[in-house]
Amino acid sequence: MADSEEIMEALLDFQNQCNENKRLRRMQRDWTKLLHYVATDTGDVFTMRVVSGETTEVKKGKEGVPDVIVETDSETLCDMFWGDINPTQKYLKGEIKVKASQEDVMRIDAITAVIWPEV
Amino acid sequence: MSIIDLMFQETDPDKIRQEAEANYKEYVNPFALRMLKNASLDIIEDKREGASVWDISGKKYIDCVTGAGIFNVGRRNPEVVEVLKKALDKYDMGSWISLFRERGLLAKKLAQITPGDLKFSLFCCGGGEAIEVAIKLARAHTDRTEILCMENGYHGVTGFALPATGRDVYKTPFLPLVPGYRHIPFNTLQAAEAAVNENTAAILLEPIQGEGGIIPADDDYLRGLRRLCDEKNILLIFDEVQTGFGRTGKMFAAEHSGVAPDIMVLAKSLSGGLYPLSCAVFTEEISDFLTAHPFIIINSFGGTSLACLVALAAIEFIEKNNLPRNAAERGAQFKTGLQALQQKYPELIIDIRGKGLMLGVEFPEESIGPRMAYQLKKNGVISIYTFNNPRIIRIMPSLVITKEEVQTVLEAFDHSLAEIRNQEARFKR
Amino acid sequence: MKDTKTNAEASTIKEDALKDFAKYVNPQKARILKNAGLDIIEGKREGARVWDMAGREYIDCISSAGCFNVGRRNPDVVAALKAALDEFDQGVFVFCHKPQADLSKKLAEITPGELRYTMFGSGGGEINDFAIKLARGFTLKTEIISTINAYHGHTGFSLSAIGREEYKKPFYPLIPGFKQVPYNDLKAMEEAMTPDTAAVIIEPVQGEGGIHPADDDYLRGLRRLCDQHEAVLIFDEIQTGFGRTGKMFCAEHSGVVPDIMTLGKSLGGGVYPITAAVYREELGDFLVTNPFIHLSTFGGSDLGCIVGLATIEILIRHRLPEHAALMGERFHAGFDRLIPKYPDLLLETRRKGLMMGLQFTNPSIGPRMTYQLAQNGVLALYTGNDPTVMRLMPPLVIKPQEVDRVLEALDKSMAAIMAQGGVEKY
Repeated sequence: MADSEEIMEALLDFQNQCNENKRLRRMQRDWTKLLHYVATDTGDVFTMRVVSGETTEVKKGKEGVPDVIVETDSETLCDMFWGDINPTQKYLKGEIKVKASQEDVMRIDAITAVIWPEV
Repeated sequence: MSIIDLMFQETDPDKIRQEAEANYKEYVNPFALRMLKNASLDIIEDKREGASVWDISGKKYIDCVTGAGIFNVGRRNPEVVEVLKKALDKYDMGSWISLFRERGLLAKKLAQITPGDLKFSLFCCGGGEAIEVAIKLARAHTDRTEILCMENGYHGVTGFALPATGRDVYKTPFLPLVPGYRHIPFNTLQAAEAAVNENTAAILLEPIQGEGGIIPADDDYLRGLRRLCDEKNILLIFDEVQTGFGRTGKMFAAEHSGVAPDIMVLAKSLSGGLYPLSCAVFTEEISDFLTAHPFIIINSFGGTSLACLVALAAIEFIEKNNLPRNAAERGAQFKTGLQALQQKYPELIIDIRGKGLMLGVEFPEESIGPRMAYQLKKNGVISIYTFNNPRIIRIMPSLVITKEEVQTVLEAFDHSLAEIRNQEARFKR
Repeated sequence: MKDTKTNAEASTIKEDALKDFAKYVNPQKARILKNAGLDIIEGKREGARVWDMAGREYIDCISSAGCFNVGRRNPDVVAALKAALDEFDQGVFVFCHKPQADLSKKLAEITPGELRYTMFGSGGGEINDFAIKLARGFTLKTEIISTINAYHGHTGFSLSAIGREEYKKPFYPLIPGFKQVPYNDLKAMEEAMTPDTAAVIIEPVQGEGGIHPADDDYLRGLRRLCDQHEAVLIFDEIQTGFGRTGKMFCAEHSGVVPDIMTLGKSLGGGVYPITAAVYREELGDFLVTNPFIHLSTFGGSDLGCIVGLATIEILIRHRLPEHAALMGERFHAGFDRLIPKYPDLLLETRRKGLMMGLQFTNPSIGPRMTYQLAQNGVLALYTGNDPTVMRLMPPLVIKPQEVDRVLEALDKSMAAIMAQGGVEKY
């Protein structure tokens, strides 16, 4: 189990990775979404705002009406933000739940694929 | 040694896979490969026969995708293959301008088997291209511009077809598109009545929405549209790209309602899964525009000599083996089996629908479609969710599928649903 | 099946075929073909030649505007397709296929510069539609500039880019954001381009427009302008590709590398419809975020890709681009003799390799020449957008004697027209 500070640390790192990757920023420049990440075991919720491909905000707590809700246990959330797992495989095996359109699911996977092509 | 010889000589499956994936990643689309791998759909098709396909590793699958209805006569149908081989002893594509005996014969055959007064054919390569022809003919014939089409419809991704596709994700990055298209709710006659005006050229729809989630049009709806079109001199266009050639238990889905369109668009199984071919079949009245402008829509690859011969062979096979009837019978078997599964998994299966062997199983949420595809593949069945609606898994096997094979698919569904039920339970904990 | 029928058999079959064609395909097309002496039912096909059912021989200078670069019914291509049919069908289009992966790699190798990823289609218009969509999707801009008299196909995006009103008018409204400028006029292009220009699409030799080769400097200028405006440069090499102009791709003459190159026609070896768009890696990013936004059921099928691989191999093994250059020169020498002989008919000739156009003095000559040439054993058509130009695009495997026979037929045909009283001067 990961506590909310660990998740937040991972999430901030993820934000940096996203924003510093020029190719990703360009690719995602037509993507503006509000995302909620829910740790099912600890009950923590995190909000992430992406505006034109830039991750402008990450914070603890639930804010706004999300376009995407990602639910999984706290460890898996951290693994995902650190790039240690392939989130789509977990999704297809039912270990991560994503409430979103398939296009947005694909976009989230594309982010992982660009930052961590080996995962 | 030539690259072709090498291609046919390499038999080590691991080597073939390695090379295919490396080249696909480097030169086709790296991300598409990743997605296929994630979804466990990274099948490299090897042997193909009847309703089945074998992965390069030797694992056998029943193909319930069939490229959304390309393989009605079965995968690599030996009789159609023979005809194409024989044709290759004499023909090539033929010069586009030349007079083709086989093109005339195929057009005649299509005039015979399609409903109503449909008579003339204009041949193309892809389904979308034939949709383009239909829409262009409608505009030119009526001197009006507006095309009524359906929410969640799918008609292809080229210029005139794309705006008719009723889903924004396909369109947004490419705006602006061809103007003059309006989308109305499917299966609602009132919506159509309210939407038509003096500038409406045509109403375009699939008799069963395929990518939209396998949604059959009601017979009364189609009859109502026919009446409405007749009243207002509007053309009715049926996109039978996925539903044609026996798929729904009749040669064409239009026959269920008895409604004949003014233009019917055909592709996919028209050419037996071996050769690109599509066409728009239309009435004599509509053909007048093309008599006046015979070379206004041209192409070099549409309706080649080889394509027409292959199509004639494929249609002959469908008729000879009465594939529409097998589709109806196997479809009924599927429905009964799926309904039993619905009883067993009421929380997972919301709806079962479709006609013949064009069936859809609806789940309560979007993530289950992709997850079911993943599980089904593990259980020896290839299926994917419909593009416009991931909550629906499609069942569109070859029409040559046997009773036993249907049973195998149903068992795979049972196992897969059990696994999804486990996953859901684990999650709720 | 016999290749040659008796005259009586052949004419019965032909009558029936004409009837079916008129009744179920297009009556006017049948009539026009008959009038033009092109109501030929192709029987045997071999190399640069084709025989009608009665055994009459023709040299095919139409080649479906460049579909038969490796020759009519090339035996090696046929053998490859037959072998493929023992194992493959079209395949399910969403999956990963080895033939598709192999052909993509091959195309990356033989196309110029950093062109790398390939999207496949089955029709030429379809693949130009994809190229234009990719340009819009990648640049997030909308404006597409093409050239007057350009020809790119009949699907919506391509049709909007076509520079000929007759093909478009009955189908209006078309896609907004397209404009056409004069070909080979860099200044016009420079003035037309704006910060919203997504792409410039151009044929390095205008085909249907009347066989107009672009100047090397013009193409280099376009490259520079596109770089300046961050616009995508698309070369439509559907007619000019695969050795037609004396190089594997026409782009090689100028050394200009486009961002997207569209290919078709001869990629299918004259037996199987397949088209392709090859694009730079950077543009591929758009398809990373949208991997299934453009789909083609028939594009990149196993059979089509194997045919494509076989065709490319034949082109390379038999050095057909070089051969095309040589045969083109032989034609050129012949044209130089014909121009002074028929000054009332023949204004000039334009050529790049075996992509050749005869510029007549008057639009009525094109159709009459088509008829005369057919009588003299040569199939040729005037260009779609300009009937004053007779296009000659024989298979690249054409032999020197066959070149001479075409030249002889041209001579005889023009002599026949002059004997009919020539033409009124415009």
